[in-house]
Amino acid sequence: MKRNTFWSWFWLAVGVLYFILPLIATFLFSLRAKKGVLSFLAYEHVINDPSFWESFLFSLVVAVFTILVSLLLVVPTAYWIRLRLPQLRTMIEFVTMLPFVIPAIVLVFGIIRVYSGAPFHLTSTFIGTDSLLVAAYAVLALPYMFRAVDSGLGAIDIRSLTEAAQSLGANWFTILFRVIFPNLRVAILSGAFLTLATVIGEFTIASFLVGIHAFGPYMSLIGQNKTYEASSLTIISFGLTWAFMGLLQFITRGRAESLAGAH
Amino acid sequence: MAKESPVQVPDKIQDKQSLADSPVFLEINNVTKIFGSAVAVQDFKLQVRKGEFVSFLGSSGCGKTTTLRMIAGFELPTSGTVMLDGEDITYQSPNQRNVGMVFQSYALFPNMTVGQNIGFGLQVRKISKTEIKQKVDEMLSLIHLEQHIDKYPYQLSGGQQQRVALARALAIQPRVLLLDEPLSALDAKIRVELRLEIRRIQQQTGITTVYVTHDQEEALSLADRIVVMSQGHVEQVGTPSEIYNHPTTEFVASFIGQLNLLPVENVDLKNGACTLGGQMVRFDHSEPRPVGETPRLAIRPEEFQFGQAEGHNVLKGRVENVMFLGAVVRLRINVRGALLSADLFNERAMSLPRVGDVVMVNFPAHACWLM
Repeated sequence: MKRNTFWSWFWLAVGVLYFILPLIATFLFSLRAKKGVLSFLAYEHVINDPSFWESFLFSLVVAVFTILVSLLLVVPTAYWIRLRLPQLRTMIEFVTMLPFVIPAIVLVFGIIRVYSGAPFHLTSTFIGTDSLLVAAYAVLALPYMFRAVDSGLGAIDIRSLTEAAQSLGANWFTILFRVIFPNLRVAILSGAFLTLATVIGEFTIASFLVGIHAFGPYMSLIGQNKTYEASSLTIISFGLTWAFMGLLQFITRGRAESLAGAH
Repeated sequence: MAKESPVQVPDKIQDKQSLADSPVFLEINNVTKIFGSAVAVQDFKLQVRKGEFVSFLGSSGCGKTTTLRMIAGFELPTSGTVMLDGEDITYQSPNQRNVGMVFQSYALFPNMTVGQNIGFGLQVRKISKTEIKQKVDEMLSLIHLEQHIDKYPYQLSGGQQQRVALARALAIQPRVLLLDEPLSALDAKIRVELRLEIRRIQQQTGITTVYVTHDQEEALSLADRIVVMSQGHVEQVGTPSEIYNHPTTEFVASFIGQLNLLPVENVDLKNGACTLGGQMVRFDHSEPRPVGETPRLAIRPEEFQFGQAEGHNVLKGRVENVMFLGAVVRLRINVRGALLSADLFNERAMSLPRVGDVVMVNFPAHACWLM
């Protein structure tokens, strides 16, 4: 028993070090902007750069829209497949994995090719381009979101819950939004976290569609031109992403706990 | 354990009388359900009176749950109709039928408290908050769980969860209450307690109820009438006493309780006599019953008594096995090649026979019949 505890802690420590050490090294490097002393000069430069905030907020908003679009697309689909078309589940699972196989560059070129000419012309307006960005990210987030939601659905008896709600007089809309969605909170949250992290740092699609308006290309640009600022930017973006995830978790804390207990 | 009900449960005989006078409320007319090439339910016919408690009894895959699901609207019949209160509901969607359903898995909404679960159906019906609160309190008092209103399902025991599920189904004042093996997931003690609770609530509310189970004890103790099903069709419909004491088919006879089926010879159907292992046996021949090609004597193990008795059939045999079950002692007796089971009530002063002993058991002629 004691031996087991020791090795558990040992492997945990190894894991933590594996993740923490590069961060510590990056953090220490980012403090050396001023020769001979440790300072937050690089951080000041980054924070005082309006492009930093603009690009971060832009990516954050795109991430929120991506999460919403993904949820509206994935939850009803995964629910219906589990409820009525279980024989299609393997095929749908395969389709959702395609973004792992198809490079982002192929996806973005495809999007530009289809939507920059007649009859769509979406790339000629900001709103059109932003919508395409959200759509592309929804595709990119599909494996994370579908897997999270599908395993969430697998953890609850959706057939009985659906039938119970139906027998109590609920229509499909009520069942989906008052029974299914709330019971998938934990799964949705983990899917949302992964989507957020993916969207905030994504480079390829963003650079072709919106350039340095998005956070990924902005970070890349800074990395090419400013040494210490790039490191500080990494730490800041890491911190902000985690802070936002923490905020999401805090907002849904009570519910998530009660649902976790239900399983 | 639930507190005693403040409401007087009507006398069983009076209850039956009033049931017989009740109009037919639920009608299942020649319903057949086919899944692919498998016939799940075949030509099912049943009339249920208002306030009646009917139980569908059968082993797994006999079509009892499919029939219940067709009443609830979760499955559509391949042919036939389902009528409720004179209305054809065969193709009505489940949320339009006003039928309450209780599931084996409870199916409580994990994200809602007990109070919210019970009030869900009323909320869907856009009933005012005050009325919902009133109804929820009423239902909680019915199931004696008033103090648990703000708890989540995971904070309750299985038995409590199933009571909440029952209250939730009853809160919408459904026309029919459907229960799909509601006690199967519970342990034996809770099952018996909740069984009584379900019957009390059903009698208190007077709701027409269809109860699916594979547990014959549950069906016998709860239902006004039992529908015994096998391989998608109805074997027999009758009161628990009719089903147990007067089974009309071999399946019903052997499915409900224990039954000895002993090979007999020299059958005289007219006079109700035959021989079993060379010993003369008289049997009940008051009703004409179909007899198979190789006639067998049907008798329940509890009909036997030790020794001889005036006017009773007597069989002599060798004891092959003795099983002490507490209240009952089960003997396996070999009567010249025919093995019979005899259940004898245990008595403190009784000296149990041993394996190899030759014993005599007796039973009245009216206790056995030919199949």
